[in-house]
Amino acid sequence: MSEMWINMGPQHPMTHGLWNLRVRIDGELVLEVDPEMGYLHRGIEKISEDRHYNEVITLMDRTCYVAGMAWENLFILGAEQALHVEPPERAKWIRTLSEEFQRIGSHVMWYAAFVQDIGLMAPFLYGMRDRDLVLDLFQSYTGARMTYEYNRVGGVRNDLPPGFIDRARKVCDWLLDRFQEYDDLCLGSDIFRKRCDGLGVLKAADCVRAGITGPMLRSAGVKRDVRKDRPYNAYDQVEFDVAVADGADVTARYLVRMEELRQSVRIIRQCLDWLERNPGPAMAENLPRWMGAPYAPVGKEGYLLKRNYPKGVGLSAIEEPHGEALAYVVNEGGEHPYRVKLKSPIFTNLSAAKHYLVGYRVADIPPIMGSVDVCVGEVDR
Amino acid sequence: MATEETAVRSGKTELPLLWVAKPLATAARQFGRSLVRPSTIVYPFERLEDPKFRTEVHVASGKPIGVGAVWDNYRGVHALNLETCISCNLCAFSCPDICIEMVTVPGGDPKHPKKCPQIDYGKCSYCGFCSDACPEGCLTMTTRYELSVTKRSEMVYSPERLYGVYKEKLPMNPIRLERPKNEDSILLDAPLCIGCNACARDCPTNCITMLDIPKAAPKPGEKPAKRIWKEPVVNDSDCVRCGTCISVCPKECLFWGTHP
Amino acid sequence: MSTVTLYSVANGLIVAILTGLYSVLPHAYFGWLVNPDLILVLSVLVFGAILLAASMINTIMLIWYERKLLGRFMDRRGAMHVGYAGLLQNFADGIKLFRKNTYKPRDADGLGFYAAPTAYMVTSVMIFAILPASWGWTAGPLPLSLLLALVVFSFAPLFIFLSAWSQANKYSLIGGMRSAAQMIAYEVPILLAVVAVVIVSGTFDLTTIVTMQTNYWFGIPLFVALIVFVTGMLAEMERIPFDLPEAEAELVEGWNTEYGGMLFAFFMLSDYLRALIGSFLVVLLFLGGWTMPGWVPSSLTALPLAALFWFLLKTYIVFGVFVWVRASLPRVRTDQLLRIGWMRMVPLSLLAIVLAALLVLAKCLPVLGCLPGVGG
Repeated sequence: MSEMWINMGPQHPMTHGLWNLRVRIDGELVLEVDPEMGYLHRGIEKISEDRHYNEVITLMDRTCYVAGMAWENLFILGAEQALHVEPPERAKWIRTLSEEFQRIGSHVMWYAAFVQDIGLMAPFLYGMRDRDLVLDLFQSYTGARMTYEYNRVGGVRNDLPPGFIDRARKVCDWLLDRFQEYDDLCLGSDIFRKRCDGLGVLKAADCVRAGITGPMLRSAGVKRDVRKDRPYNAYDQVEFDVAVADGADVTARYLVRMEELRQSVRIIRQCLDWLERNPGPAMAENLPRWMGAPYAPVGKEGYLLKRNYPKGVGLSAIEEPHGEALAYVVNEGGEHPYRVKLKSPIFTNLSAAKHYLVGYRVADIPPIMGSVDVCVGEVDR
Repeated sequence: MATEETAVRSGKTELPLLWVAKPLATAARQFGRSLVRPSTIVYPFERLEDPKFRTEVHVASGKPIGVGAVWDNYRGVHALNLETCISCNLCAFSCPDICIEMVTVPGGDPKHPKKCPQIDYGKCSYCGFCSDACPEGCLTMTTRYELSVTKRSEMVYSPERLYGVYKEKLPMNPIRLERPKNEDSILLDAPLCIGCNACARDCPTNCITMLDIPKAAPKPGEKPAKRIWKEPVVNDSDCVRCGTCISVCPKECLFWGTHP
Repeated sequence: MSTVTLYSVANGLIVAILTGLYSVLPHAYFGWLVNPDLILVLSVLVFGAILLAASMINTIMLIWYERKLLGRFMDRRGAMHVGYAGLLQNFADGIKLFRKNTYKPRDADGLGFYAAPTAYMVTSVMIFAILPASWGWTAGPLPLSLLLALVVFSFAPLFIFLSAWSQANKYSLIGGMRSAAQMIAYEVPILLAVVAVVIVSGTFDLTTIVTMQTNYWFGIPLFVALIVFVTGMLAEMERIPFDLPEAEAELVEGWNTEYGGMLFAFFMLSDYLRALIGSFLVVLLFLGGWTMPGWVPSSLTALPLAALFWFLLKTYIVFGVFVWVRASLPRVRTDQLLRIGWMRMVPLSLLAIVLAALLVLAKCLPVLGCLPGVGG
């Protein structure tokens, strides 16, 4: 068979979203890849410039639909910097808790999608089932399962409901057992190891050169985690280990994510302990004067409220489940952010596809791309 | 801190046992567990929000089905209490999707009709900002989540229909947000005011009263005022900061600010 | 031994209908109704129809069985709402597929596109006429029935590749290539494993092979051959962990990507027909076919359809094992699959042959409880 190009995407089971991977193959061998992104571009950064700070949150939830809370946290950290607001301590802990729950939700979702890529059917549903527990918890305190709209400038919308901490502890216990099952189903399977060992290798130096972050970078043995290196929220007060692995292959990425799940449970338990001991306000007192009325009422266009906030610039980085995300918020004094720039880790990881796909086989593309954990909403923003 | 800060895991040390024995055993164990009752919820017949389901199935099965599900604060369809709605526009203000339109409902006086929110669920993102903004607590979100309709026009809920949802007494979000403590007040740029009464007339809470303000005695050379001026005085404790007065002011003499 | 056979059922049905008609109609004009030749021809036709219907219904029930079983493996319930416990769900799906428009891509080759699914289906159904499901539940005495079944079974890669090539789709082409390579690679160990059975039994006649297993199942002395055969059958049936011709993650739907509606249903049904055939063969060759173990009370074995029931029960249990494997294992890669096939399975099957020959030479089989009288 002569060489040919195939388009894996934009509608393809491997993509988990809308993007196109053009692959030049010779038989089963991958010779060249060319990722094409942008099918899901919604202009979130531009729309943000037309929204009140708190309303940008609704967009952040939809930036990455599996890790909405992480993106909420990211933007709100930047916005608080730009607006010179300091949230109360309890809000910080709640945000830490939320982000770790989101990490579990995202990683378990990743697990489900990843194992399905290599043909494991049952664990896909185990993953979806266990993610539902996390979504249930989210729903019990934010009011929604995926698009939370929970963070506000200066804190969080509401405090944890009564009984939440017990339920969360129960879920943590249950989840730890399930993680062991995940490992049995994958690491304990010879076929899985045959499929994943030594696949999609990207060594530490190449990762750094390509700007790759997150579990992919840590799978190469680089100990780099924003939560440790540049702590935000309450991460400087919780104990956890940075998960790294050696091997830099698909198995190593699997191992890193599985270890991060366990570390997340560890962080969550500390957060729950702290939150149980320290009641307090979850919203800052001295917010800049705002009213949250960005639009003129219908029929009375032309009327626009003008606030004057102290000018400022916010730059926040968090360890999102997929990698390091960055938000840059410029506050020029108006009601709306003057500019919002979001840096998506997956965009970088995906753009480097040729470095870890070329030379492997067509059948290797799904596990390798699965191990990157693509969330297209975040790539295209 | 004695703990090491890095958890290194290696694929070289964690190896499979007996080819595929572990996954087969795990699947078989799961099979045995789900023989009695799988974790799925037979949705139209069992409902997570049904308290009976939660006690009978969740507790009896020993599985964490719906363990975190608390349905009181779920953000579903809105409920509107027409009787307490003051037509302040704040819900429409705060809606990021512009899915709320204030429409006239019967019951107001003919000159200044009562306007209440009509929600287009085709656009709504269920963010809950409207119910957070509602000063009277009359627009809340209920736990209803089944909205399938056959016509697009049926997605638009009129105020009466929202009132119908309210009358069903569904569980509602118990968490009410407190108003920020340091909100701006409505201030008056007095020299510009012509005393037209528009703000007081349209104020949804009737917190604006027009008071007679005696003008200062004219300076020599100026003409004396022709009549007694009325100026609006805002009662800050009743004011819900909806801004209606600002938008109706013909001379743009009302503005947001802090009392000196 | 039960006297009810599939042909006797068909024959009895025809005779009853014709004689019944004959009795109420004027004898002078309708004497041809009881013509033995006519009865024979009609009986054969009805026999075929019953066989077809039985295999189809069995296949559809197999799909239901897999869905329910897989559901429990996945912590869910499977089909539930159409019929009792979703029994009729697949019939509903079939009706839906039947009503759908058959779409052919513009560049596809019409002949191959339409002929391949039909041929695939026909060859799969054909095997049911060869495989005996019980005493007499077959088309007739075939001394080489095992060989014939395997020959017809191995037509499939041809048609799959034909359909894959004619679809003018790159995914289909890759899938077809994979499928052809895989099936050809696994024909060899399967045939070699069968050779082990043939060495022990000394015949190619499936009915005889089953009869010889009345006291002892071949699967126990020929355990290696059983393993090879089951693995090879998994590959031939293109089920996880060997379903890479239709690996949906990279190849969308593999070699039947462009098919929809009834043509897709043909492929789907044929896949499950072949799964059923694979389970049949495992039961026939290694697990004693429809013979019942000694602890089953004789009052039960005397029931007319007991043998058939026992055979189907075994078949479904074997298929359940396939489902279990499907629920817990990922799929392998092409090169790994071929390596397993040529470098593990072929030597193992050769080993199985040697073991079988040794067992026969050492006359261990009578000792082990198997029937004597092996030719050589």
